[in-house]
Amino acid sequence: MMHLVKLELKKASLRGYVYGALIAYAAIAAFLLLLYFFEGSESSSPAFRNQLEILTVVNTMVCATFIIYASALLSKLIIGEFKDKTMSLLFAYPVSRKQLIFAKLSIVFAWCFANIVLGNLLLDALLLTVNSYAGQVGGELATSDLLRHVGFVLLQGVGAAGMSLLPLLVGLPRRSVAATIVASIFIVSIVNSNNGGFSLSSIVAIPLSLAAIGILGSYLSFRNIDRADAA
Amino acid sequence: MTNTIRTRMLSKSYKSTETVSNVDITVKRGEIYGFLGPNGAGKSTVMKMLLGLVRPTGGEIELFGEKLMPGSNEHLKRIGHLIETPVFYERLTAAQNLDLHAEYMGYHNKEAIGEALRMVQLIGVDNKPVKEFSLGMKQRLAIARAICTRPELLLLDEPINGLDPEGIQLMRSLFRRLRDEWGISILISSHLLSEIEQIADTIGVIDRGHLIREVSLDELRASRTDYVEIATPNAALAAFVLTEKLGIERFKQTGERVLRVYDMNVSQETLSKTLILNDVPIESINRRHHSLEEYFFDMIKGGDNHDAPRQAGA
Repeated sequence: MMHLVKLELKKASLRGYVYGALIAYAAIAAFLLLLYFFEGSESSSPAFRNQLEILTVVNTMVCATFIIYASALLSKLIIGEFKDKTMSLLFAYPVSRKQLIFAKLSIVFAWCFANIVLGNLLLDALLLTVNSYAGQVGGELATSDLLRHVGFVLLQGVGAAGMSLLPLLVGLPRRSVAATIVASIFIVSIVNSNNGGFSLSSIVAIPLSLAAIGILGSYLSFRNIDRADAA
Repeated sequence: MTNTIRTRMLSKSYKSTETVSNVDITVKRGEIYGFLGPNGAGKSTVMKMLLGLVRPTGGEIELFGEKLMPGSNEHLKRIGHLIETPVFYERLTAAQNLDLHAEYMGYHNKEAIGEALRMVQLIGVDNKPVKEFSLGMKQRLAIARAICTRPELLLLDEPINGLDPEGIQLMRSLFRRLRDEWGISILISSHLLSEIEQIADTIGVIDRGHLIREVSLDELRASRTDYVEIATPNAALAAFVLTEKLGIERFKQTGERVLRVYDMNVSQETLSKTLILNDVPIESINRRHHSLEEYFFDMIKGGDNHDAPRQAGA
């Protein structure tokens, strides 16, 4: 299994994806800093009322970004291989097809989860540090709040990683990269959009149940793959 | 184990149309089996079924002496293949593609990759991604990929597509070498008889999903009918002379002015002499043989009557 994952990474030239993730972090950081300095506490409706809210906004942004990012990865690893017909090459190898697909899906899942956790960590650190100097957002951040937020991020990460598989259910039957990515944007814009401080994703049960649907749906899509016609 | 491939009543239908129906082929170990048929005859589908890419809807397949079970994939380690157009990971180089292939196949002799590239004479492409290759180069690379894990069976679907004459020549001698030196069985498909004829030991002819005939080439050459063709304005008289004066029964009138005599016991000299002595005007008289091309064309056109003896009766 690990061998299959390694081979996938060999094919996908992962370096490009790592750079892509770094660029995404930088873009989110730039956006948040803009928000912090221009919509800070001095404006009539401040973007952040307290430090915990900074962390929540960071999480929303990171989740949204990497769910969409994951759909690009799904397109490349699964839909692209079907379109380029390299999938029939893979299916003629002495390897279980289910394991092949599972290796691909677990890369997407792990990639999405790892980036969400790492992104939260880096950007939270950045913004809290900036705030400790600039002091635009006041108030204390209690350790208990911070710990609770860590748990929240981990759950959100699992939820988002699972949800990131949902676009496959739309893109796979059509073998369409565009449909996959559009579906991911659609999901993000519903689940993560922030309406006056409230978003669906803040109720942890929603991302988690969507994640369950994503995982179950992917399993069902590939359940019969070992016995189906591949070409 | 003398048979590498054996199929029995192998069939595949999509919805209501049957693409392959009741095909029985037998590929012996260490032979080159030519799979001949027009486009869309079902050659690729049969090969895909052998690889497990397409599930048969009927019949069974035996590979290396063992019955193929649904979901089994161990046998795939022993098969190299090239089906339809060659596909690669286009951003990777030739060697990277072969390396990946070997990894997936569970074959770990890295020297084999360089050797395979040399065998198809694909050299000096070290750092080029495959997307910059021409079709002919991709074809060579696909063949290199198929042989780099030293398989026992090669499935090659139209392997000479896109190759230049030199490349075709090279591949032909390569396939023979693989058979003779490594003992590989090769199933090779083509819609060109001339291609198959030059390399195959056995030919299977398939048309519209049916296997029309499976025959060894030696047998075919031996049984190939020779005949003498007589062109005459008075075919009726000629026919009369042939039966009455020469006692020949195995001949056939194939055109208004053309007779074909299949009885080779009577020499051409006797034939012409007797005809002339009996006042049969002769425009030409020639010894001919059926070309394989004609033979197969008849076979495919003949449909169910393909076994009907080509004999006698004017």
